[in-house]
Amino acid sequence: MSIGFWGASRRVFDLSLGEMLWSRRTIFMALVVGGPVVLALIVRALDMFGMSALRVNGRAVGGIGIFGVMIWMLFLRFIVPVLAVFYGTALMADEVEDKTLTYLFTRPIPRGAVLVGKYLAYVACTMLVVLPAVMLVYFLVVPFREVPGTFTSLVTDLGLLGLGLAVYGAVFAFVGAFFKRPLVLGLVFTFGWEPTVMVLPGYLKQFTIAYYLQALVPHAMPSEGITSLLQGFFRETPPMAASLAWLGTFAIVFLWLATRAVERREYVLEQ
Amino acid sequence: MPIHDQGYRRYGGTRAAVGRAWQVIAGAGIRSIIGKRAFIALMLFAWAPFLVRAVQIYVSANFQQAAFLAPKGETFREFLGQQGVFVFFVTIWIGAGLVANDRRANALQLYLSKPLTAAEYIAGKMAILFLFLAFVTWAPAMGLLLVQAIFAGSFAFIRNNAYLLPAITLFSLAQVLLASSTMLALSSLSKSSRFVGIMYAGLMFFTAALFQALRGITGSSSFAWLSPGDALEQLGDVIFRLEPRYDLSPAIAALAVVVLIVGSGVILARRVKGVEIVT
Repeated sequence: MSIGFWGASRRVFDLSLGEMLWSRRTIFMALVVGGPVVLALIVRALDMFGMSALRVNGRAVGGIGIFGVMIWMLFLRFIVPVLAVFYGTALMADEVEDKTLTYLFTRPIPRGAVLVGKYLAYVACTMLVVLPAVMLVYFLVVPFREVPGTFTSLVTDLGLLGLGLAVYGAVFAFVGAFFKRPLVLGLVFTFGWEPTVMVLPGYLKQFTIAYYLQALVPHAMPSEGITSLLQGFFRETPPMAASLAWLGTFAIVFLWLATRAVERREYVLEQ
Repeated sequence: MPIHDQGYRRYGGTRAAVGRAWQVIAGAGIRSIIGKRAFIALMLFAWAPFLVRAVQIYVSANFQQAAFLAPKGETFREFLGQQGVFVFFVTIWIGAGLVANDRRANALQLYLSKPLTAAEYIAGKMAILFLFLAFVTWAPAMGLLLVQAIFAGSFAFIRNNAYLLPAITLFSLAQVLLASSTMLALSSLSKSSRFVGIMYAGLMFFTAALFQALRGITGSSSFAWLSPGDALEQLGDVIFRLEPRYDLSPAIAALAVVVLIVGSGVILARRVKGVEIVT
């Protein structure tokens, strides 16, 4: 008995989520998101001893400022794209490397459903690890009295990080399904193309995900280093609705392209 | 002769002296990499900045109006700094699978059952990475010095900046050793080259992001030692006799780089073994 596309995707999702959550990769992911938590603990400890960590012109800056720096520097510019490259490019490549793709492709389900199921498992898995870490960082760094006034920015941050994981994941799922060297290409896109184009004037930055994602950040961009200064100088902020629309379009288009690539590509397993 | 007629025969070939087997590993690795067209394209691309700088030197040497483009000691430091991006991608491309692929294919035991020591195996693998990384750092930087002398028609610049020869060599060596030893150590930790690649990217970029975050929070750049890339940059400034960019003692920056290289060596010594105990 064959099941429909979404039913098949759900089955693959169930199977893959368990595999992803209880794998050694989750340790890597925990280490990556553990860094900001440790940093937040240090900031909290300094604050408890009356030594405020962040100072601008000699004056201590509030916890939400520190939280904003961490969202920009650690989560948005590093953790989200790297986890997406790591998991997104591995969705199909892992099965090819382990020579287990045959078992999935010989099931009476559409090939594309395998990718979609795995992609949804990736989104769920990364969100389950990253978003609680962000909340932990927030409650460690932001003093309790500031919570009521800043909680909406936390919700916005959680939403945009989730969206970032979904969109970057879709892009790299396509890269992983279509190209032979997905990791190198993914890293070139994340650490080569996006940072370079973001500091250039003109329209090229519209061909990045960071451009739309950074427009949604409720915190001011930190201006440390020449790259940040240049980016701040040439920064244009697209309207929120346009950013959301473009990010949604990217996610859908790349996921569709990835599905198409998996449906059409002939995978050759090395003997 | 039919195959069933062949019995035991003594090995008729020559046996390499102890300590030279690494050349076999290195030679085989280099040949297999040179055969990849995409990689050759990457290497050519890595030489593009050399061409740009060569044009800059040519213009400055031949046109009075463009004298402000004339190279200084700083130019070579900037050039090597720019090559860092190619060092990163070449390291990932070549290095990620160097040991990981052998571990995946259970070939390590096979290699080390031959007259090949673990040290020779590591040296051979490192030589592959070392050669290609030197080809995108030391070779073009030295080439630029040569180009300057050729276009200027004198060795005056080199004579006046004699420190550049050891500076380029020392900084390139630091860049190449740091990248190759770290990558080889990471490669020995996993059987998946993709995982190794992402671990290396994580090590380089996460530590850099962590340093930037700390810099943003504290307003001080004294935490540059946390990021191997930034520690190396600080070291590079000192080697090229420039004003250091971070509030970090050069000794600490050097120590951070040395600790990472030595730590990588320790990991390699523990991981590259002829026997594997499966638990």
